[in-house]
Amino acid sequence: MKRIGRYCKLLGIFAKYSLMSALEYRVNFVTGVTVEMGWMVIKLLYVAIVYKAGINIGILTPDHILLFVGTYMLMTGIFMMYWGNFSSLPGMVQQGELDLYIVKPVSLQFLVTLRRLDFAYLLPELIAGTAMIVTGWRLAGLPAGVVPIAGFLFYLACGCLLAYSLFLLPYILSFWIISAGGIADISSALWDFNNMPSMIYEKWFRRIGTYILPVFVITNFPGLFLMGELSPWACVWGVAAPVLFFALSRALWKFSLKKYSSASS
Amino acid sequence: MSSYRCVFLMGVEQALEYRVSFFLSMLSAAFPIIIQTAMWNYLYGHSDAAAIFGYRQGEILLYTLLATLVSQLVSTGFEWEMNGDIKMGGLNKYLIRPVGYKGYQFFRFLGQKVPRVMVIVPVMAAMIGLAFWQGMPVSAGRVLAFLVSLGLALLLNFSIFYCVGLLGFWLTDVDKLFGTISVVLTVASGGVFPLDIFGGMVEILVNLLPFGYTAQFPVNIINGRFGWARIGAGIAFQIGWIFFFACLGNVMWRRGLKRYAAVGG
Amino acid sequence: MITVEHLRKEFTYYKKMTGIKGSLHNIFHRESLTKEAVRDISFSVEKGEMIGFLGPNGAGKTTTLKMLSGILYPTGGKIEVDGFIPWERKNEFKRRISIVMGQKNQLWWDLPASDSFYLNKCIFGVDDGSYRDIIVELSELLEVKELLNVQVRRLSLGERMKMEILAALIHRPDILFLDEPTIGLDILSQKKIREFLKIYNAQWKTTVIVTSHYMADIEALCDRAVIINQGRLVYDGKLGEVNQLLGKRKLLSVKTSCPVDMEGWRAFGMVREVSAAGAVLEVPQEKVQEVLAAILSGLQVEDFTVTEIPIEEGIARFYQKEAAEI
Repeated sequence: MKRIGRYCKLLGIFAKYSLMSALEYRVNFVTGVTVEMGWMVIKLLYVAIVYKAGINIGILTPDHILLFVGTYMLMTGIFMMYWGNFSSLPGMVQQGELDLYIVKPVSLQFLVTLRRLDFAYLLPELIAGTAMIVTGWRLAGLPAGVVPIAGFLFYLACGCLLAYSLFLLPYILSFWIISAGGIADISSALWDFNNMPSMIYEKWFRRIGTYILPVFVITNFPGLFLMGELSPWACVWGVAAPVLFFALSRALWKFSLKKYSSASS
Repeated sequence: MSSYRCVFLMGVEQALEYRVSFFLSMLSAAFPIIIQTAMWNYLYGHSDAAAIFGYRQGEILLYTLLATLVSQLVSTGFEWEMNGDIKMGGLNKYLIRPVGYKGYQFFRFLGQKVPRVMVIVPVMAAMIGLAFWQGMPVSAGRVLAFLVSLGLALLLNFSIFYCVGLLGFWLTDVDKLFGTISVVLTVASGGVFPLDIFGGMVEILVNLLPFGYTAQFPVNIINGRFGWARIGAGIAFQIGWIFFFACLGNVMWRRGLKRYAAVGG
Repeated sequence: MITVEHLRKEFTYYKKMTGIKGSLHNIFHRESLTKEAVRDISFSVEKGEMIGFLGPNGAGKTTTLKMLSGILYPTGGKIEVDGFIPWERKNEFKRRISIVMGQKNQLWWDLPASDSFYLNKCIFGVDDGSYRDIIVELSELLEVKELLNVQVRRLSLGERMKMEILAALIHRPDILFLDEPTIGLDILSQKKIREFLKIYNAQWKTTVIVTSHYMADIEALCDRAVIINQGRLVYDGKLGEVNQLLGKRKLLSVKTSCPVDMEGWRAFGMVREVSAAGAVLEVPQEKVQEVLAAILSGLQVEDFTVTEIPIEEGIARFYQKEAAEI
C-alpha cells in the first residue's frame, strides 16, 4: 500500500513536471492540440456518416454510437498522453539511455513508460470525448444511477490498464529488433479499429479482437456494461484481460531487459 | 543526371534498410481499409437503399481501397528531413554540391517509393482487373488517364509538401505541425472517404482546392464517376496546381535561403 | 568494499553489408560478430578509497564501470560491491550507489535543476531534513547556489555537470561512480569539479571510482590508478610510478618566425618533430619553465603550447617497459 502511494506521488510529480516543461514551449503546446483536433475530425467523420445514413448498428442507435465513439476518444486522449514514452523507447534502447534509469530504486518500466505525459494530446480528446459520452448517454436514455456510473468508470479504468499493457508489448520488441518504426505504425493502426463500435465487424473478427488481441475490450466494454449487454462471462473477462496482459507486459519487459544488459555497450 | 540516379538508388536502399519496419508498415496500411470496408459493408447490408450518398456498395468499396492505395503511393516524409537540414545546418552541404536541393529531394523521394510501388502496383492492378470483371466501366483509355493523373498527383503532392518542408525556414518548431498538415491533407484529399458524400459546398470546395487532386480525382477516373470532360478539366487543374506550388516553392526557397544566410544557418 | 575477479564482457553486433544487394541480403540474413570489451580484469577497492580508471577511448573503462553499477551483466567473472551482486539490481543496492556519466544527463532539460533534485529525493525516499541539508551544503561547495532555480537548458556545460553530480548525491551513496565527468568542460570547471570530488571524498568517506582519459583528472584526484587498455588491466598501483612514465613529461610545441635547425633545437631538449615553422620537444615537467624561458630569450617565438603526452602513447611505452623488464 505504501508502495502504491509512493508510485502515485511520483506519477503526480511526472505530470506536474511534464506540464511545466510543456508550458515552456507554448506554440508547441498549441500545435499539439491542433494535431489532436485534426485526428478528432477524422473520427467525427465516421460518426457524421453514421448519423447521416441514419442506420442502427446491431442494437446501437446513432446515439449509442456517439457514446461509444466518445469513449474511444477519451481513451485515445489518455493513451496518447503517455504514448510518447513508448515511441521513444526504441531510441533509448539504441542510444543506451536506459543506463541512468536502471540504477534508480524504482521500477524501471514505470520510470521509462510514464515519465513524460503529454497534455496537449489529452486535452482536446478529454473535452470532446466526455461531451460525447454525456450527450450520447442522455440522448439514448441510459440509466444514470450510482451503479451504472461506477461500473462505467470501473471498466474505463480496466480499459486504461489494458491499453497500456497491450500496446506496450510491441515496443518491448525494440530491445530485440533494431528498427521499430514499423511496429509503431502497426500498433497505432490496431488502435484505430476502435474507431467504430466492434459490432460493425463480422462475428469471427469480433471474437479475435475481444479474446485474442483484446483491443475491442478497451473502448467497448464500458458502454456495453452501461447498456446491460455484457454477459457475466464478459464481465469477468473485462477485468481478467487487463490483469493478464499487464502481467505479460511485466514478464516480457523483464525478459527483454536482460538483452539490453548483456548486449549493449 | 548520374548524380540524380545515385540519389535515387540511395533512397531505394534506405527504404529497404529498415526490414521489419518495411513489412510492418505495408501491413498496417491494410488496417484502415479493413475498418472502412467493415463499416460500409455493414451500412449497405442493413439499409434497404441500393445506393447511399449516391454510391453503390461496389463503388464505395473500390473507392475506399483505391483511395487508400493512392494516398500511400503519393505520401511523403521528406518534409521532416528538410526541416532537419534547415535547422541543423545540413543545407550547407547541398549548396556546394552540383545537385539542386529540390532535385535531390525529388529523386530521393522517388527512390524511397520503389519498394512501396512494387507492392502497391500489383494490388492496384488486381483490383482494377476485378472491378472490370465485376462490370465497372474500366477501359484502356480510362486506365491511361488514371495513370497520367496518378503521375501528376505524385508531382502535385511532392510540390505541396516541398512547400510545407520549407516552412521550416520561418517556424522554429514544426514537428507537430507537420503531423497535423499531413493528417488534414489526407482527409482533404479524399484519402479516407469520398468527400462528395457530404454534398453541396463540400463538393464544390473539393473541386476547387488542390488537395482532392492528389487522391480523390485519380480514383474517380478509374471508378467511372467522371466523364471525359471532367477528366480533362481535372488534369488541367492538376497541372495548374503543380505549376502554382512549384512557383510558390521557388519563391519560398529564395526567400528562405536569404533568411538562412542572414541567421547564419 | 568492491572485489572484482576475472571479469569478462563480450558483445555481439551485426555486420552490415553496403549497396542495394547488401540491403536485400541484410533483410534475410545478418552475420553476427563478437567483440571482447573486457577480458579478465581483477582488482579490489577499500572503503573510502578514490581510484581512477585510466585508458584510451574504447579500452573498456566505461563497460567495467557499467558492470560495477549493475547496468550490464558480465559475460564471466565475479563482482561484489558492498556485499551485493550488482546485476541482481536489488533496490537496497541501488540506494547505496550512484553513477554520473559525462555524456548522459538525467536532469529535466526545461526545468530548474532543483526540480530534478526533488524528483530524486522522492525516488530515493530521502527525508525532508537531510534533503535540505545536502542541497545547501553541496550547492555551496559546488558554487551553484544561485543557479538552482535556473532552467537546466540555460546552464553552461560545466554548470550542468555540477548539477548532475549534485543530483547523484542526493541520497548520500556509499559508492560513487563517475564516467568521464570532465569530458568537454572548460579548464576552470574541470578544476572546480576535481576540487569538489576531493573534498567530498574526504568529508563523507564515500568510495569513488572515476574513469577518464585525461591524466590530469586522475592525477589530481587519486593516489591509485588502474590502467586499462584493450580490455585488459595493464597496471594497478600507486599513481607515482605511472607518473614517471605518463605524466611527468610534457610536450612543448614552439612556432618560430625564422627556421632553426635540428642541432639548434637539441640544445633545449629531446626533439620529436622539426619543421621550417617550428618544433615539438619533449621535456620533463619540472624543467618546462626553464626550457621555455631559454627558448623565449634565444629564439624569435611566434606561439607555443604545452600539452600532455597522449595517453595512448604513454601506455604503449608502458608496455615497452614491461617487455624490457622481462
